[in-house]
Amino acid sequence: MYLMVILNGLTMAGYLFIMAIGLNLSFGLMRICNMNHGTFYLLGGFIGWSVVKATGNWWLGLVVVAAAVGLIAFLEEFLLLRRARGKTTVETLITLSLSIIGTDLIIAIWTGKTRQIDIPDFAKGIYRVGNYFFPKFNVLIILFAVAIGFIFWLIYQKTKIGMILRAGVDNFEIVATCGINIKRLFTAVFTVSGALAGIAGVFGGTYQMLVSGQDGTVMIYTLLVVIIGGIGSFGGAIVGSIVIGLIYTVGTMLAPQFSYFFLFAPVALVLAFRPQGLFGKVGRIDD
Amino acid sequence: MKKLVAILMTVTMFLSAMTGLAMAEDKAHPETPVVVGVTCPYSGFVANLGENLVRGIQLALEVEGRTEDVKLIIEDTELTSELAVTKCESLLKKDNATFIIGSVTGFEGDAQAAWLKDNPDVIFMPGYSATEDMTMRDFSPNMIRAGWTANQVMFDWGAYVAKEIGYKKIISVGADYSYPWGQAAGFAHGFLSNGGEKIEYIWYPEGNTDFNSIMTTLLSRSSEYDAVFLNDGGATVVAFWKAWEQYGLNNVYPQLIGGTNVGDTNVLTEVSDGYVGVMSAGFYADGDPSEANQTFRQKYIEMFDAQPDAVSVQGYDTMRCIIKGLDAVDWKVDDQQAIIDAILALKITDSPRGSFYFDEYHNAVQNVYIKETQIGADGEMVSNIIKTFENVTQFGPYNDLKEGYMSMPRNARDYPPTERDAFMEDLAKYFGQEYVDKLIENGGW
Amino acid sequence: MIKSKTDKFRLSGLLALLLFLIAVPMLSSSFLITMMIRYMYYGLLTISFAFLASQLGLFSLMVPVSLTICGYIIGLGVLRWNMSIWLAILLGILGSQLFAALCGVMVNKSKGISFLMLTLVISQLVWALSLQWTTVTNGTTGLLDIRFPEYINIFSAQPNVNQYYWTFIVFVLCVALVFLLTRSSYGLRLRGVRDSESRMMALGYHTSTLKWTAFMIANLISAIAGVLYVYNNGMITPDVMTLSSTNKSLISSILGGAGTPLLGSMIGTVIYRTFDVMLSGLTRRYLTLVGLLFLTVVMILPDGITSVAKRFRRGKRHE
Repeated sequence: MYLMVILNGLTMAGYLFIMAIGLNLSFGLMRICNMNHGTFYLLGGFIGWSVVKATGNWWLGLVVVAAAVGLIAFLEEFLLLRRARGKTTVETLITLSLSIIGTDLIIAIWTGKTRQIDIPDFAKGIYRVGNYFFPKFNVLIILFAVAIGFIFWLIYQKTKIGMILRAGVDNFEIVATCGINIKRLFTAVFTVSGALAGIAGVFGGTYQMLVSGQDGTVMIYTLLVVIIGGIGSFGGAIVGSIVIGLIYTVGTMLAPQFSYFFLFAPVALVLAFRPQGLFGKVGRIDD
Repeated sequence: MKKLVAILMTVTMFLSAMTGLAMAEDKAHPETPVVVGVTCPYSGFVANLGENLVRGIQLALEVEGRTEDVKLIIEDTELTSELAVTKCESLLKKDNATFIIGSVTGFEGDAQAAWLKDNPDVIFMPGYSATEDMTMRDFSPNMIRAGWTANQVMFDWGAYVAKEIGYKKIISVGADYSYPWGQAAGFAHGFLSNGGEKIEYIWYPEGNTDFNSIMTTLLSRSSEYDAVFLNDGGATVVAFWKAWEQYGLNNVYPQLIGGTNVGDTNVLTEVSDGYVGVMSAGFYADGDPSEANQTFRQKYIEMFDAQPDAVSVQGYDTMRCIIKGLDAVDWKVDDQQAIIDAILALKITDSPRGSFYFDEYHNAVQNVYIKETQIGADGEMVSNIIKTFENVTQFGPYNDLKEGYMSMPRNARDYPPTERDAFMEDLAKYFGQEYVDKLIENGGW
Repeated sequence: MIKSKTDKFRLSGLLALLLFLIAVPMLSSSFLITMMIRYMYYGLLTISFAFLASQLGLFSLMVPVSLTICGYIIGLGVLRWNMSIWLAILLGILGSQLFAALCGVMVNKSKGISFLMLTLVISQLVWALSLQWTTVTNGTTGLLDIRFPEYINIFSAQPNVNQYYWTFIVFVLCVALVFLLTRSSYGLRLRGVRDSESRMMALGYHTSTLKWTAFMIANLISAIAGVLYVYNNGMITPDVMTLSSTNKSLISSILGGAGTPLLGSMIGTVIYRTFDVMLSGLTRRYLTLVGLLFLTVVMILPDGITSVAKRFRRGKRHE
């Protein structure tokens, strides 16, 4: 029983991680709290739904979503955020206004109707070990999240880009003075972060469903992950998503009528004692 | 070929417009269009319900040929009680609305009902809000509900599950707010009075989408309970079903039964075919073969290229009641009481949901259908009628014991009691020991 | 006191505005009164946000927390515990201040984005409680039908004119309080902390006490907005506490200009709260319009609409 709950928690942690890694990176590097990250999620989900509905190919949906939402994120960064570079409050407010517009346009385009993406055939069904049940798709989400995490870890630790990123999170002004084109790096990070949010949307839409208004909920969960893990911290994103995923599922099992409370209370406690989060460095963000 | 079709269509449209005009000539018209305000959410989780409510209203105007005579003003509530009330205020005071059609959720409806107590100058008709107290304990003379209450449609369903299907113990999974509380209460009355022994409740927060934990709970409790009762609507049902199928709960429980919105169209179009066999109860069945329903569906699909659901039906019926009520007073809006009386005197026989009329607390008395999802003739999933209970009032089986019923506490998370004995004891407090003894002797209603 | 021509001009403008506001119920339709009342209690909420933002540079996402707590205590007091409304209001304000005091202790540790995040989590926590502690808060439905006694209706026979005047009196008092505070040496010290906390510390000020009191004042204003909210709506529901509700205060403040806690807040609130009532009847996608307006203001006038006047004035001076 508890093994199954833990696996459920990890599943939730999986797609939260895909969301959080992008948000965390743009947060840590660019100092902006991207308030329309949840909108990217929902947008990705709905685009994925349209593609899968039309072609029946789930992987194609994933690819198209990554490209489309990535493009939108690119345009947002290139056309809007760039003009306000350096003024982090303004940048955050721009993303906030875009989240209002985006949420509304999603309803205009896809109507407010609930949608869900069919689970692809290869991931239908359940693994059964004794008395334990593991839905195949849940396992797929976990594997995918681990793969993404591994790729990011490789990039982070083994490549030059990773080195720049790590340095940039700590102090991007110095990186910029080293002759590295920080502008282009920002655009790339924001684009990838958007594409990942879109992909998370496809997973979420397949795993659960898609409905207008969900973007806010997902946004808050992702923020919780980033806050509790520590802004700009790669390890923090992993631990944060696992913590939030587990708290949520265990909370829903033990006392579903208080699940939200159980979700926020520990985060508030952690923040009260460690405002920078579990893995955040003091002074990294506050300027 | 396409051209020909286009020409034919224009001609028919023209002809129908002409006949519409010709017919309209001997109808009474108001000097200025009658203002009907609508408050409904256009954003957030139930944006879809708002959309469908408005479509139902528009279809009614179209069908009755009254698009010119009624000025429709649609306001967004953003799914908040404060805006639901402020928009009513705006419709009444800024737009001088004669009618306001209320919002779609229970809590907005409650807030609007409280507002209505101080605003007698408007005729208020709930959109889809189904809290029973709006037309019962919080009765306002200027509110008329051409809809339903959450409890009303559940009484007979609970009895049916206990008597006909024969389940003894039910585990109920539901969203934690007033409307599912009402559904659960109505179901408990029917179920526990007629041989059911126990209902256990799992309440999850409104808007919850992750059902994996709940599935593990359901799995581990499957030996104790006969069936699962799902008490929610819309998006959550889709997510719930997804998890249900993933965990193969169909093999563990013989059946999923549910509240009213579980068998509604907006769910049926999204779930997989495994959903066949899910049973629910409501005031409208989309598979109803009656002519009124079939024409309604056909016209609706033609007009909006979308499937109607129960919200659309309530919007449609509400608007038609308004139109017919106004017909009776020759579209003169000065005398509010005359309009209210005219609407209350109506007996609608050609509604997509069958026939209905109003009780003395201004709520519709109507058929309640026990429905089962099946694959229809066109291969799409529909909810078909298994059994019809005719002319059910909002008091259900307690129609002769209204006073006793109204002295009961309001719907809440933990009322009524969940076990048979405690339930009977509680029942005796309001209806007397004699009633309970008779109930036990008869083995039910 | 009056030093120059511009001050005289301002004072007479203020007096004219006051007279106009007092005369509103006599002049206009009942709906405008409703709108004005709404501007005032939401305005106070925005002022509560803008006070911290302008004086301390702290963006608090828990603005409606005190409103909610105060509202719920009043509702519970009147509906469940059958106490007099005045006692309930007193308890409401005290209770919300107590909670704010506790939060204030945490707040002192953080600034910038961590402050933003901490307040966000606290606000979500309160929201979760108000939503899920249904035996006390009655869930999404909230507490309805909270009524104030009839004997306070002394201005007119119309209930809504009475509401207007009482709200107006409280509103003016709060605005005056904030005005005096920002003009006092206290306000100066706060802005000193905003600009450089370490320097203020070096000068011997207890910056943490300063920050804490400012936080309490902001929450007091929010709690008073809560009293007005309950008085005028007769209800308190969890949806006043959602993230989008917080965002509305934030957007109002930014639209008007966060640098000017009073004028900017009120202009922003009036614009936003007019839009959400007036536009939705015209077009279904009015939120897109609101978003676009906000985006434009943020991009072109990052200091809000009030900064136009300032720019204009500065331009004139240069001539």
